[in-house]
Amino acid sequence: MQIAILLILAIVGAFTVGGSLFRDNDLPQVGGRAPDFALVGLDGKTHRLSDYRGKLVMVNFWGTFCPPCKEEMPAIEKQYQKWRDAGFEVLAVNLAESKVTVDSFVKQLNLTFPILLDDRMEIRKTYGVVNYPTTFLIDQSGKIALKKEGQMDESFIEQNLIKWLGKM
Amino acid sequence: MIENTKCECGHQNAVGTVLCESCGKPLSEELLRGTGPLEMRYDGVARRSMRANPTPIDRVWNFFSSVKVAVYLIIVTLLAASLGTIFQQENMFINRDPAFLLSYYKENYGWFGELYYRLGLSRTFESWWFRGLLFMIGTSLVVCSLDRVLPLYRALKNQQIRKHPTFILRQKVSYAATLPLDAHPSEPSGPADQEEAARRWVERMSAILKKQRYRVHTDGTALLAEKNRFSRWGPYINHIGLIIFLLAALARSVPGWHMDEYYGFLEGQTQKIPNTPYYLKNEKFTVDFYKPEELPEGMRNQGALVPKMYETQAVLYRCAADCDDPSKQPVLEEVARHNILVNHPLKYKGLLAYQYDWQETPQLISVRATLKNRQTGEAYGSFVLDMKQPQDSYVAGPYQLKLRGYYPEFAFENGAPVTKSNDPKAPAFIFTITGPDLPPEGEPYIYFPREIDREQFGQDAINGALGRKLELAVGSMDDVQVALYTSWLNIRVDKPLPYIWVGAAITVIGLAMGFYWQHRRIWLRIDGDRLLFGAHTNKNWYGLRREAAYALNRAGIAVDAKTLETGGKRS
Repeated sequence: MQIAILLILAIVGAFTVGGSLFRDNDLPQVGGRAPDFALVGLDGKTHRLSDYRGKLVMVNFWGTFCPPCKEEMPAIEKQYQKWRDAGFEVLAVNLAESKVTVDSFVKQLNLTFPILLDDRMEIRKTYGVVNYPTTFLIDQSGKIALKKEGQMDESFIEQNLIKWLGKM
Repeated sequence: MIENTKCECGHQNAVGTVLCESCGKPLSEELLRGTGPLEMRYDGVARRSMRANPTPIDRVWNFFSSVKVAVYLIIVTLLAASLGTIFQQENMFINRDPAFLLSYYKENYGWFGELYYRLGLSRTFESWWFRGLLFMIGTSLVVCSLDRVLPLYRALKNQQIRKHPTFILRQKVSYAATLPLDAHPSEPSGPADQEEAARRWVERMSAILKKQRYRVHTDGTALLAEKNRFSRWGPYINHIGLIIFLLAALARSVPGWHMDEYYGFLEGQTQKIPNTPYYLKNEKFTVDFYKPEELPEGMRNQGALVPKMYETQAVLYRCAADCDDPSKQPVLEEVARHNILVNHPLKYKGLLAYQYDWQETPQLISVRATLKNRQTGEAYGSFVLDMKQPQDSYVAGPYQLKLRGYYPEFAFENGAPVTKSNDPKAPAFIFTITGPDLPPEGEPYIYFPREIDREQFGQDAINGALGRKLELAVGSMDDVQVALYTSWLNIRVDKPLPYIWVGAAITVIGLAMGFYWQHRRIWLRIDGDRLLFGAHTNKNWYGLRREAAYALNRAGIAVDAKTLETGGKRS
C-alpha cells in the first residue's frame, strides 16, 4: 500500500513540476524547434512550415509600414534566386496588412517567394516577434539556426546560407 | 539491534511502541523508572514509519512522515513565496513580450530588477521549484497523516479496559485511594463480598459518568469512560481538506482549466479568444460620465472626467467548423449575449468575461462611398469600402473601380506613397477606374475618405482631369462606420474553483472538530479495596479535572479538582 501511495504521489508530482517546466508558451529559441504553422499565401494556397522540412527555410516577418523590412526585400529576392535550387526557401510572413497593400508592394518589387498573410498576428505572437523585421533561419531538421532582428544585407544573408546549406 | 517488544501481559507490540498497545504499561526500562506523566501521543503506539530494517521506499516514506521535515518545508515555502512579492509578477502585465518585460524590470527596479527577471523570480508562483515545494508539502501532509492516523485508529478501536497500574497512575490527572468497601456494618466480609462491592461501586461510577455523556465500558472491577473521540480525527479531516485544496490549485495547470488574461476588443470587431474555441464580438461600447454638478467640489475644479458607468454589448460565438484552416473563414455560432458591466460578467460554461478597462481609440471601420458626376451631381452607384481588408474591385453603375493600392496611414516618402503604420489613421485608396468616356486601360484615381487628408495631400490636384469629372464621396455620417472605443476585458476560466471551496470547507470542519471538542478518557480499576483512577485529554485539562472531581465526589470520595493534577505543566 505504501508503494501504491508513493507511486500516486510521484505521478501527481511529475505532472505538477513537469507542467511548469515544459510550458508551451515559452518562446522559440535558437537551437530549439521551430513551432509549425499554416498560413494562406498571397497565391491563395495554404503553406505549412513542416511541408518545407528538408530545406533551409527563411521565415521573415515584415510589413510595408516598416522601411527596413522593405529595404531588405531585394537582397532576400536575389539570394533566393541564387540558392533556391540548393534547397533554400523563403516564407515572408506579412503582419496583418490588407491583401491589396501587400499585393501592390510585391508586384512592385517582383518578389517570387511565397508571401504569407498572418491576418490575426497569431504566428507573430507564437514566435515572440516584437521588432520588425525579424528573421528566423530554420534548418533542414526543423530547428531554429538563427534569429536576426533588424535589417539584413546581402552579404549577411549569403554568409549564413553558405554556412547552413553546407556549401563552400 | 533487536528490541524485545513483548509486554508482560503477553501482547506482542510493533517496533517503536512506547506504551503496550494492550495494557498500557511503558515498554522501556527508562520510562518505567521515571515518575512523571506518560507521553500519551498517539496513545503510545508505533507510527507506521518505525520499521526495524527500512528499505529505500521506507526511507522516502520516513522522510516525508517527519513533522520536523514538514515544518522546514513550510518555512522554506513561505520564504520562497515572499521572494515572489518583492516586485510585480509577470502575470500582472497585459503585454508579456520578454523584451518589454526585461526593460520594464530594468527601468523600474534597476540592476536588481533585471537580476530578478533573469532569475525567473518574476514568475515565482508558476516556477517548477515553487510548485515542487507545494507538491512536497502535499506529500508530507498525506504521508504524515497516514503514518499516524492508521495506527491511532487501530489503537483507539481496540482499547483494553483494564490498564496497567503504572499506566493509570502516571496519567497527568490521577488519583489513588482505599475504598471503604467492607464498611458494611451488618455482615462480615470476605474477598468475594469485597469484589461484589467493588463491582457495585464501579456500576455507580458508570452511571455518574454516563450522565456526563461519557461512553462507558466496564470489565468487572475496571472501567473505561470515553467521550468525543471524533475530535481526534479533526486534524486528519483538516489535512484531507488541505490536500483537496492543493490538488485543485495544482489542477489549474491542466490545459484549459484555468485562464486569466486581458484582451482589447475594438467596437464592431469579432476577435478570437486565444486557446479557446470562442470568439467575442464587441457590438457596442458605451460610457457615461458624471456631470460636473454631480462631482464633489475638488474634482469639479480639476475638470476631471469621471466615468459613471461603462458597458460592453458583447456576443460570444463558438467556432463550429473550419476553426484551424487558414484558407477558410471559421464558422461561428452564437452561444451567449450579454451587456458586460463592472462586476456583471458574461458567463458561459465556466468562461467569464469581466469589464476591466476601456480606451478611446477612434478609427474608421468602413465608409459607404458613392461615385458621382462632379458636374451634374448624378450618383452612379455606391459600395462599402472596408479599412481593414478592402476588396480587389468595386462596381458603381457603369464604372468599374479596381483597387491598385491601399495605404492605411498615407504619407509621401521621396515622392512615392508609403504607409507609416497598419492602422487606418489616414487611409488612402488608389483605384484604376474604367467606364464610359474613359480609356480602356483605365485612369488612376486616389481617394482619401477623411476630409482633412483630402485637403492636406491635395486629392483634387493629384486626380487632375478625372477628379473634375468624377467624385467619390460619402453622403452623410450614416455612411461612416467608426469605432470609438476599445474595451478591455478580463477573460477568466477557473474550473478547479468549486474544488477549492470544497477543500476549504472540509478544512474548516476538521479545524472545528479538533478545536471545539476534546477527546476525554477516564480509566479506573479496583484491586481489593484499592482504587486507581486516571484521566487523559488532549486539551482543556481544567475541564477534565472538574469532570473527574465531580464524578469522584458524587461517588463518595471528597476530592478537590486541583489536587488531581500530578505534575507536568498546568493547563
